[in-house]
Amino acid sequence: MKTSKMIEMAFLVACGIVLQIVESFLPTSWILPGFKLGFANIVGLFAWKRYGVGSMWTVNLTRVFLASLLQGTLFSVAFWLSLSGSLCSMLMMSIGIRTRWFSIFGISILGAAFHSVGQVLMVTWIYQQYFMQLFLPILLALSIVSGLLIGLLTQLLIQRWKGRTV
Amino acid sequence: MTLKKADKILILFLMALSLFLIFPLLKNAPEADVASVYVKNEKVLSIDLGRDDTYEVEGTNGAVVIEVQDHKIRVTQENSPHHLCSRQGFVSSPNTPIVCLPNETVVQIEGDTQEDTVIQ
Repeated sequence: MKTSKMIEMAFLVACGIVLQIVESFLPTSWILPGFKLGFANIVGLFAWKRYGVGSMWTVNLTRVFLASLLQGTLFSVAFWLSLSGSLCSMLMMSIGIRTRWFSIFGISILGAAFHSVGQVLMVTWIYQQYFMQLFLPILLALSIVSGLLIGLLTQLLIQRWKGRTV
Repeated sequence: MTLKKADKILILFLMALSLFLIFPLLKNAPEADVASVYVKNEKVLSIDLGRDDTYEVEGTNGAVVIEVQDHKIRVTQENSPHHLCSRQGFVSSPNTPIVCLPNETVVQIEGDTQEDTVIQ
């Protein structure tokens, strides 16, 4: 790994941590339990566009671990929900990237939708209750909006980033 | 913002999926407001708490009269030495069943028992 890439990815992880923690201050969950805008996925998408799928996995997984370590929720229920959501969404994003059908918006929507699917599966497994599944259709519908938003933000970021280095 | 064809198909697919999913899930939604009456550990009656009515079941010492009012339930008449269950009055929580030991009758509101607090 080149040093410049390593440094850039470390910066991306740091930005992701900040975005995730700042997002947890936003009271979006009163709209719907489990609903998030998913700002932290901006850095994942950016890492994919710049360095490929492998870097997206590295950046997002490191980000999930470190952000929950800083928030003090490491290995708690919130952490497992977050981890299962990101694993599920990154799996589907990788498959979507591999097919080459989608633009960055499609990948972002896939990630947002399967983040909620992964979280609902984990809630069902941990609590052995099925009430969260009632929210799944609404979460999926909202993930279209949030996925488009995150895709747009990432595209703007990539446009402005062009030709720059850290 | 340029969407590829596959993106649009994905968006439409997710919209259709969320519409399709909402109906079967709503149908299986846990129904609230049902009380069950047990005599000698056997369920003899299921009561809809949404409808104000009176019911009568046969206990050990005779008839037990149960009344529903405003989503609450109580025992109004029964034969027992201390009339504890009719003195208990209206009950609306799954946490507090009405127990009439001399009649071996239990009135229990169905549903998840709510916790007082969650300790993490």
